Amino acid sequence: MKIRNLLSLLGMLSMVCNAADDYQIGPDSHRKEAVPVGEVTKHRFIESKIYPGTERDYWIYVPAQYDGSKPASLMVFQDGQWYQNIRGHSRVPIVFDNLIHSGEIPLTIGLFINPGVIPAAKEGAKPRRNRSFEYDTLSDQYARFLLEDMMPILKREYNITDDPEGRAICGISSGGICAWTVAWQRPDAFRKVISYVGSFTNIRGGHHYPALIRKTEHKPIRVFLQDGENDLDNLHGSWPLGNRQMAAALKFSGYDFKFVMGDGGHNGKHGGAIFPDMLRWLWRDYPKK
Amino acid sequence: MVPSIYCILFAGVFYACSTLAQDIPLNRVLIKDEGWEKVVGGMKFCDACCSDRLGNFYFSDAKGGDTVMKVTPSGEVSDYINGVPGISGMQFGPGGKLYACQGRSRRIVALSPGKIPELIVAEIRPNDLVVTKDGHLYFTETSTRRVYHLDLNKAGKRLRIVASDIAKPNGIALTTDGGTLLVSDHMDKEVWVFRIEKDGSLGHRAPYACLRLRSKNHPSKGDGIEVDDQGCFYVASDLGLQMFDPTGRISGVILSPQPGKPLVSVVFSGKRLEYLYIANGDAVFRRKIQSKGVLHW
Repeated sequence: MKIRNLLSLLGMLSMVCNAADDYQIGPDSHRKEAVPVGEVTKHRFIESKIYPGTERDYWIYVPAQYDGSKPASLMVFQDGQWYQNIRGHSRVPIVFDNLIHSGEIPLTIGLFINPGVIPAAKEGAKPRRNRSFEYDTLSDQYARFLLEDMMPILKREYNITDDPEGRAICGISSGGICAWTVAWQRPDAFRKVISYVGSFTNIRGGHHYPALIRKTEHKPIRVFLQDGENDLDNLHGSWPLGNRQMAAALKFSGYDFKFVMGDGGHNGKHGGAIFPDMLRWLWRDYPKK
Repeated sequence: MVPSIYCILFAGVFYACSTLAQDIPLNRVLIKDEGWEKVVGGMKFCDACCSDRLGNFYFSDAKGGDTVMKVTPSGEVSDYINGVPGISGMQFGPGGKLYACQGRSRRIVALSPGKIPELIVAEIRPNDLVVTKDGHLYFTETSTRRVYHLDLNKAGKRLRIVASDIAKPNGIALTTDGGTLLVSDHMDKEVWVFRIEKDGSLGHRAPYACLRLRSKNHPSKGDGIEVDDQGCFYVASDLGLQMFDPTGRISGVILSPQPGKPLVSVVFSGKRLEYLYIANGDAVFRRKIQSKGVLHW
């Protein structure tokens, strides 16, 4: 009797726990037999001209099929460490392997970049964390960091397309608004955006984007926004409302966009679970046949 | 397999939470029903707030008289030192010396009760200063748009320009750990940060935080800066006391008690450095908050 009660209690608990934010990754995020495995290498960047003094790790994913004979597409990820992790929320290298092999996305090189840190010079002092400054600021500085600091490094080694339609950028939270900012500032360089739980709130003015989008001539950007009903509501604003405002503004101004509102919180579970589908949608007509 | 997935999920959530530690609303800092209380009134222009190790508070009446005043934590006010007019910035440094900017007298002096002021540097127009625990003094010179450095340990005390081209550099402070220098701009919205290098020079300048303005193109009136034990910083400004989290995100504006009068200086004082003291026009006010100050010497 007691055990039955306990079991039913556990059952109810698990129902409660499963009610919201219960997103699972699907088969595209697991290794599949006979799918060639691309290579991920780790690097450190310490010579930024755009963010002087910053140091950061970055990773490059190169598909097994890449031979340099034709330009590869590029996809950049903020908070790169989380995205390149094959046990993380998105497992990008595995998803890329699978979808490149099946021909659902183009041959794509992945660039996963961590936010910068300025180490302290004085003993015992803390480093300056540059993540919010780099990701939340509404300016072209991060786009210039990608184009002037990082692209030359990539281009020295790899044949990467100059077609902005072949360049995508993705991030979570402040990294999500950062992805949008890069394309908004430089649609000549990046035209495809994925935002997980994007911080379109007033951390450093990001709540202005819906108004800017409505009163700026349409830019050739394709964007997938993911958010959840249980996302943050704090001093910077409401994440669900911010993302709804973005979606409404994108619709008003005729953007090629998709908006998914789940029931998750401020994390990468939902985004990671639908990441393969977001990629399919983002790359659905590229390269043009 | 299953446990490892959960570990990673938890790790991800933990990482997210650790980045959320930046999201500090005003109600995590202010205390409900605890407002500003007047400490001293009837002055001309209060400025140069600072604190000693025991939590005694000091300030100047920069445009009236020539006295540095002392206020004990229990509120007793006395003249600390006379004969030093026009002090706009003041801080205790190593050895308990009280360093003071006298812009109109074009000098920085070290003060001790009953002694003639010791000249530290002359032929400059200092506005505000800060002293590190290892004896490096930095000060702003608003008129030349510069920040200077002086190594107090070295004989001869050679002056160095360590930053320039800030519209109106004014307030100056150290982060909690002493590794970063903050400088406010009285004209523009930027609060600049610099890494303090081993030799005392400044590197890697960035406009890390932005003050809210009354209206576009209105001067920020960014002035005195104070840092708390969590690394948040508070900047006196036109709109009030603007609070920023350690990553430079604005947390909010704490309203000044006399909005029509200039808010120019701020410091933690009191027995446990649990009070924010501000110079707001003709008066000094204090307010107990949840955060506490840090001593740099």
